[in-house]
Amino acid sequence: MKKEKRFSILFFMPFMVCFILFWLIPFVYGCYMSVNKVSLTKGNVGFVGLSNYLALFNEASMYASEFIEALKNTVLFVIISVPLLVITAFILALIIDNLPDKLKGFFRTIYFMSYAVSVTAVSAIFLWLFNGNGGFINNIIAKPISWLESQPYAWIVLAIVTLWWTVGYNMILFINGLNSIDGALYEAASVDGANFLTRLRYITLPGLKNVMTYVTLMSIISSFNLYGQSSLITKGGPSQSTRSLIMVIYDTILQKNNLGVGSAMSIVMGIIVMAFALCQQYLAKEKKDLMEVNGSEKP
Amino acid sequence: MNKRRLFVLILSVVLAVPALAGCGNNKTTADENETVKTETSKTVSQAAESDKIKITFLNGFTGGDGEFMRKITDGFNASQSKYEVVESQEKDHLTQFKANGSDLVVIPGSSLYTYEEDGMVQELSSVYKEAGVAIDDFIPAAQDIVNMNDGLYAFPLDIHPLTMFYNKELVPEAPKTFEDLVDINTKLQAENTDIYVMAIPGSGLVEYYYMGLAAQNGIDIVNDGYCNFATDEFADTLMKWHDMIFVDKLSPANLGLDAEFTSFAKTADDITTQAAIALTGPWYYSAAKEIYGDNLGIASIPTIGEENATYGGSHTIAVSSQVTDEEKLAGIAAFFNYLYDPENLLNWADSGQTPVHQETLEIIKANPEKYPLPAANAEAVETAKTGPKVYNSNEQLSYISNNTFGRIVSEENLAREELMTELEKATEIARQIAQEQ
Repeated sequence: MKKEKRFSILFFMPFMVCFILFWLIPFVYGCYMSVNKVSLTKGNVGFVGLSNYLALFNEASMYASEFIEALKNTVLFVIISVPLLVITAFILALIIDNLPDKLKGFFRTIYFMSYAVSVTAVSAIFLWLFNGNGGFINNIIAKPISWLESQPYAWIVLAIVTLWWTVGYNMILFINGLNSIDGALYEAASVDGANFLTRLRYITLPGLKNVMTYVTLMSIISSFNLYGQSSLITKGGPSQSTRSLIMVIYDTILQKNNLGVGSAMSIVMGIIVMAFALCQQYLAKEKKDLMEVNGSEKP
Repeated sequence: MNKRRLFVLILSVVLAVPALAGCGNNKTTADENETVKTETSKTVSQAAESDKIKITFLNGFTGGDGEFMRKITDGFNASQSKYEVVESQEKDHLTQFKANGSDLVVIPGSSLYTYEEDGMVQELSSVYKEAGVAIDDFIPAAQDIVNMNDGLYAFPLDIHPLTMFYNKELVPEAPKTFEDLVDINTKLQAENTDIYVMAIPGSGLVEYYYMGLAAQNGIDIVNDGYCNFATDEFADTLMKWHDMIFVDKLSPANLGLDAEFTSFAKTADDITTQAAIALTGPWYYSAAKEIYGDNLGIASIPTIGEENATYGGSHTIAVSSQVTDEEKLAGIAAFFNYLYDPENLLNWADSGQTPVHQETLEIIKANPEKYPLPAANAEAVETAKTGPKVYNSNEQLSYISNNTFGRIVSEENLAREELMTELEKATEIARQIAQEQ
């Protein structure tokens, strides 16, 4: 037994080493920097307590206005993008699930391929498509639009870019979820006269609940981490209205040369994302509890 | 196949078309990165093998001009057997310098004050002496960049001012004044309402636009170590660009990043507007030449304000404050002695940059066919203003560049009071940035 335990620890060690090196140590060091005045050029100037955190919420501080604006922008992007990412991926998964077996692999590959493209290439493509002066999209619509220089079009472009680029990953998760639902349930429902929408509501959606929760959670986290698309396509514009939290953290550390405040921003951002995730988990759990109390719903 | 499956198949094919739209070959970027890494590794490993005193040289010349700087450093290495300059061309070279250091580093002139205040670079009067180079060997604008706190903190390399490219088919002669711009625009618009004399961008090079006009109006925004934008004169400068769009109609409104060049590069049609001139950076020269060939004109920017002036960025070469070894400093002096021999520095002019070494500049002016872009900019650099000498000047200017100027080009009814509120906010941010010193 002891030998088995020692042997099993060996399998666990690679993960622990990576976890410690690439998460725990940076996290602890980040917390340390967030309570000190640190810059790349001058190093650690000294302990400042919570003043870096207070600067984020002090209206008079330049860091506060940038942080709050970026937080609003990022939360808006989360609200816009997450439903799109989840629902579109789900629809694509349903489509593929209903294709003939011979074609499933082919279309699954096509829809997933965009996920393998780098953000630089994706941004170059969409910059060309949505260029306000003679871009491809403006060539085919009736009235040209300044896609990247005005709102809400800049957000629409970022949402479309993110959707096209990342929907494949969520789609794969939904496909795996659909494959795990017992086919006999659908057969029994068909025999009872259930149509597509009824089967979707009473078999598919409940069967995909855990996957849906996971996909939504991952989409929220990745949308909070918006950086590549807004940095390369809109550069945070128009007038910083698409400037995300990560962009502000990057600028604070590398342009304003303030690692202390940048680290504090990162910690606060992590807390906010965790709060969103916990809320989502709580809402998902509450509905499950209610269902258990009330018994399974009738079709 | 039943109807449902057929429908799903057709829908899959329709959705697959946009999904495949982006697939392409981004091998080029990966290959280029690999080439730079290989070249850098090769250079480093060659240096490692030799007994020469190694001098690391970090710069950000990852574009077309990189090969010309490498020619200079390779030439220096081949010219003597005591020192080896190991050059690294990196995209984010200043972050690398802050984190890992380097003996020599190219620093933008506008950032030199910040690096000096942070103690990252050292005073170089003794190196100048040993290199046989005098500060008077450079044009006054360049002397001003490196001369601070009664010392010389870098060697000036070049100034890249806001440059005017013009399409000779639409504009036979380079406009020199604001009135010229208005006349040209009137003629162009009468023939085709999709062709404007210029395109004023909302982001990108906008710092060159508003600081250039401030220079022409003789405005100094520096006040007590930070940029004070909240003055009537500076507000007037910004409103001039606003009025050129919405009152004089010299440019379309609400243009975006790099629009000054992308509009210049286009041909007008129903949905595309074209600009006859581009006030842009000299780095677009190759692209402009490829489009227009012999129909490309190059000149200094017109005088829109009260006097002739321009604004530009600059490159300087500084020595890290960590370099204390006397032999290495002697090697660095030898490198600068080599670099500022006009025969060698003209390699930098071949890249399209305008060196600010006086003797080299005279040769460039005498040979405009060989150095078209530097020769066109030779006079402009004499009167060029560069970034304000304040702590972290790029960040102090960033609110105006990233927020305010975008409103200038897009909001026709932008009220003066609103603009002043923006300028006061920008000034407060600049003041706080200066306090981080």
